[in-house]
Amino acid sequence: MNFEYSEKEKLFRIEIKDWLENTLPKSISDKVRKHQRLSKQDYQTFMTILNDKGWLATHWPTEYGGTGWNAIEKHIFEEEIIIASAPRIVPFGTIMLGPVLIEFGSEEQKKYYLPRILNGEDWWAQGYSEPGAGSDLASLKTRAVNMGDHYIVNGQKTWTTLGQHANKIFCLVKTDINSKPQSGISFLLIDMDTPGIEVKPIITLDGEHEVNEVWFTDVKVPIKNLVGKENEGWTYAKYLLTFERTGIAGVPYSKTALNHLKVISQKTFKNGKPLIEDPVFSSEIAELEIDLLAMEIFNLRTVSAASKGKAPGMESSLLKIKGTLVRQRTTELLRKAIGPQALPYLPEQFDEGWNDTSIGPDYAGTIAKQYFNMRKISIYGGSNEIQKNIVAKASFGL
Amino acid sequence: MDFSLSEERKMLQETIARFFESHYDKIDKHHFNANLPDGFDNKIWQESADLGIISALISPDFGGLGGTGEDISLVFELIGKSLCVEPFLSTGVLSSTALSSIKKPKTKILSEIIDGSFLVSFAHSEMNSRYEECHVETKAVSSPKGWIIDGNKSFVLNGDTSKKVIVSARISGEINDKNGIGIFLIDKDNIKTRSYNTIDGYRAAELEFKNSSGELIAKDEEALKCIIKTNAAGALALSAEALGIMQICFDTTLEYLKTRKQFGKSVGSFQAIQHRLVDMMLEIEQVKSSVMLASATFEADEKTREKHVSAAKNLVGRAGKIIAEETIQMHGGIAMTWEYSIAHYAKRLIMIDHLMGDADHHRDRFRMLSSI
Repeated sequence: MNFEYSEKEKLFRIEIKDWLENTLPKSISDKVRKHQRLSKQDYQTFMTILNDKGWLATHWPTEYGGTGWNAIEKHIFEEEIIIASAPRIVPFGTIMLGPVLIEFGSEEQKKYYLPRILNGEDWWAQGYSEPGAGSDLASLKTRAVNMGDHYIVNGQKTWTTLGQHANKIFCLVKTDINSKPQSGISFLLIDMDTPGIEVKPIITLDGEHEVNEVWFTDVKVPIKNLVGKENEGWTYAKYLLTFERTGIAGVPYSKTALNHLKVISQKTFKNGKPLIEDPVFSSEIAELEIDLLAMEIFNLRTVSAASKGKAPGMESSLLKIKGTLVRQRTTELLRKAIGPQALPYLPEQFDEGWNDTSIGPDYAGTIAKQYFNMRKISIYGGSNEIQKNIVAKASFGL
Repeated sequence: MDFSLSEERKMLQETIARFFESHYDKIDKHHFNANLPDGFDNKIWQESADLGIISALISPDFGGLGGTGEDISLVFELIGKSLCVEPFLSTGVLSSTALSSIKKPKTKILSEIIDGSFLVSFAHSEMNSRYEECHVETKAVSSPKGWIIDGNKSFVLNGDTSKKVIVSARISGEINDKNGIGIFLIDKDNIKTRSYNTIDGYRAAELEFKNSSGELIAKDEEALKCIIKTNAAGALALSAEALGIMQICFDTTLEYLKTRKQFGKSVGSFQAIQHRLVDMMLEIEQVKSSVMLASATFEADEKTREKHVSAAKNLVGRAGKIIAEETIQMHGGIAMTWEYSIAHYAKRLIMIDHLMGDADHHRDRFRMLSSI
C-alpha cells in the first residue's frame, strides 16, 4: 500500500497551483472566498483562461480539445481549483453535454457544438427535472411531437441552474407517450432564443436566484437537433448522470470549511474561553474531522481505482451520500459556532462592490445562508435516498 | 498511489485466512476453545507460530517477518472474521510491542514468543484507570534485593496463562503524573491471579502483587512512550479486528434478509431495510479507509501515528455500535440466541469499544493531537 502521490503527480499539482495563483484574477477569487454573487462574466472569464491553457474540458479526450487526464489528475485539478477559490467550472456544457455528444452525437453535431462549448459561445443549461419528475426522472411529461423536419415541444422544466445565463438547453423530452416511461424519451438540443421559451426565476430559501423554471409553448426544434436516436434518450441521460464524477464527495470543499470552522472557533468565545476549547463543541469538530479523514481515503481509493480503469459503481453513490452529509455538517457547525451572529441578513452584502461595514465579524454574514443553501446537495444529482436505492439494487441481489 | 496489497501480502492473507477457516469453521469452536482450561487452544497457538502468523506481527529487527501496521491489520482483520480466542492480541501484539519499544529490547523473549513457546501479558490497566495512559496506582520501590512491586492490575488479557507479565508501576509522583512510571517484567509464579472469561468469550485476569520482585525494563519518558506505542498497536489491531467482524456482520445480515420471509416476501425486499443496509455498508467503507490510513502511517512520526490510530479507533467505536445493533435488529429474534453465530460477533464488536480506549477517549485524544 502506498498513500503518496507519485513525483509526477506532485509536479502536476504544483504546476496547476502556480498557474492558478498567477492567472486567476484576484477580484474573482475574493468574491468566491466571501461567498459573493458571481456574474456570468466571472464564470466566463475563468473558463476562458482555462480554455486558453487547454484545461477546460477535463472529461474529454484530447482529439476533441480535452485534457485526456486520468482520474487522479482530474482529482488533483478539481482540488486545486477549490483551494484557489476559483469559480466552479459550469458543468452543463463541459462535463455533462460534451461527453454525451462525443459518445452519441453525429459528426456534424460534434463539429458544431464542441468548439462552441470550449470557446464560450454557448452556455448550456440542463433540462432534466420537471415539477412532476424529480427523483423519478423517467416520469417526465414535456412532449416533443415529430412534424417531419422539426419537433414541436410543449412542457416545463425546473431547477434549471444558471439558466438565466444560458443560450442553449439540452432537454429530455417525451417522444412516445404510449411506451414504458424509460423507452419513449429523446435527447434534444434547443436554442433558448426560439420563440415560445420563457425563463422564470426561482428564488431559493436563502434569497438567491440560482435556479429557474423554463417553459416551452409550441417551441419549434429542428430534427437535426436530436442527439442519437429518437426514443433512446434515456440511455444518453443515464450515461450523462453516471459519468465518472471524481469530485462527487466534495472533499476539498469540506476541508476548506473545516479549517474555516477551526479558525472561527478560536475567535469566538464561550464563558470567556475560545469556543475551540469547549469540550463538547470541539468534540463535534473532532468527529467531523475523523469522518472527513476517512472519507478522503475512501475517495482516493475510488479515484486510484478509476485511474487504473475500474469504473466507480456504487462507490460514487456511497461517496455522494457521505460527502454531502459531511459537507452539510460543516455548515451546521459553522452556524452553531457563531451563535446569534448568524441572525443578521444583509442581501446587499453579497453584491459586487459592497463597501459598508458588516454586522458582527465579516465572516458571519454568509454562514446561515450557506447552511440553508447546502441543504440542496443531498437532494440534487439523485437524492441520497435514490443513491441508496441504486446501491441496494446494484450490489445486494435482494 | 496504490491501495492494494502486495503480492506477498496477498499470499500471506490467503494462507492465514485458510488457517482460521479450518480451525474456526463453526461458532462452537469459539465457545469450546474459550472454555478450555487456558481459555484458548494451545495446539492452534503452536500451529499458528509454525505457520508464521505470530512472526507476521513482529519486526525483522527482533526475529519476526512483519510487524508493520499493515501486517498487524492484515492478520487482525482475519482474526475478526474467525472470532478466534488465541492470545494474538495479548502476547502477539501488546507484549511484543512493549518488549521491543524500549531502549534494550528483550530479544530472547521475543524470539520465544515468535516460536510459540512463551506467553507474556501486558498489565497496564487498573480497576480505576479507565483508558488513561498515565494513571498508575501500583507502586514500585527499590530495595537491596531489587525492585519490589505492590498493587493490583485489572482486565489483564490472558493474564492467567502467561509466564511473565509486563507491569506498569509508579516509582514516584502522583497517580496521574506523566513522569515516575516504571515498566517491570515480573515472573507469574506466586502472583495471586483470579481469572475469568469476558462477556465476549476471551480470557482475562485480575492480578495482585504483594512484595513481588520485578525487573525494571524502562522508566519515565521511555516507559510512557512504550505504553503509548503498545496501546497504539493494540488499538490498531482491534480496529482491524472490528473491520473483519463488521464485514461478517454485514454479509450474514444480507444473506439472512434474502431468505427470511415475512408478509409473503423476503424481508430484504423492503426499502426501509435496504436503506439501512446501505448505511451499514457506508460505515464499513469509512472504517476500512481509516484502518488503512492508520496502518499505512503506523511507522510515521509519533504524532501522525497516534492521530490516525485514534481516528480509526473512534470511528470503529461509533460504527461498531451501529453495525452490531443493526445486525441484531435486522435479524430479529434469532440474533438474540446463543446458538446463532452472529450474536457473538455483535458482542465482540461492542466490547472492542471497551478495550484500549473507547470512542470518546480516542475522540478526545484526536482533538488534542489535531492541529488547528
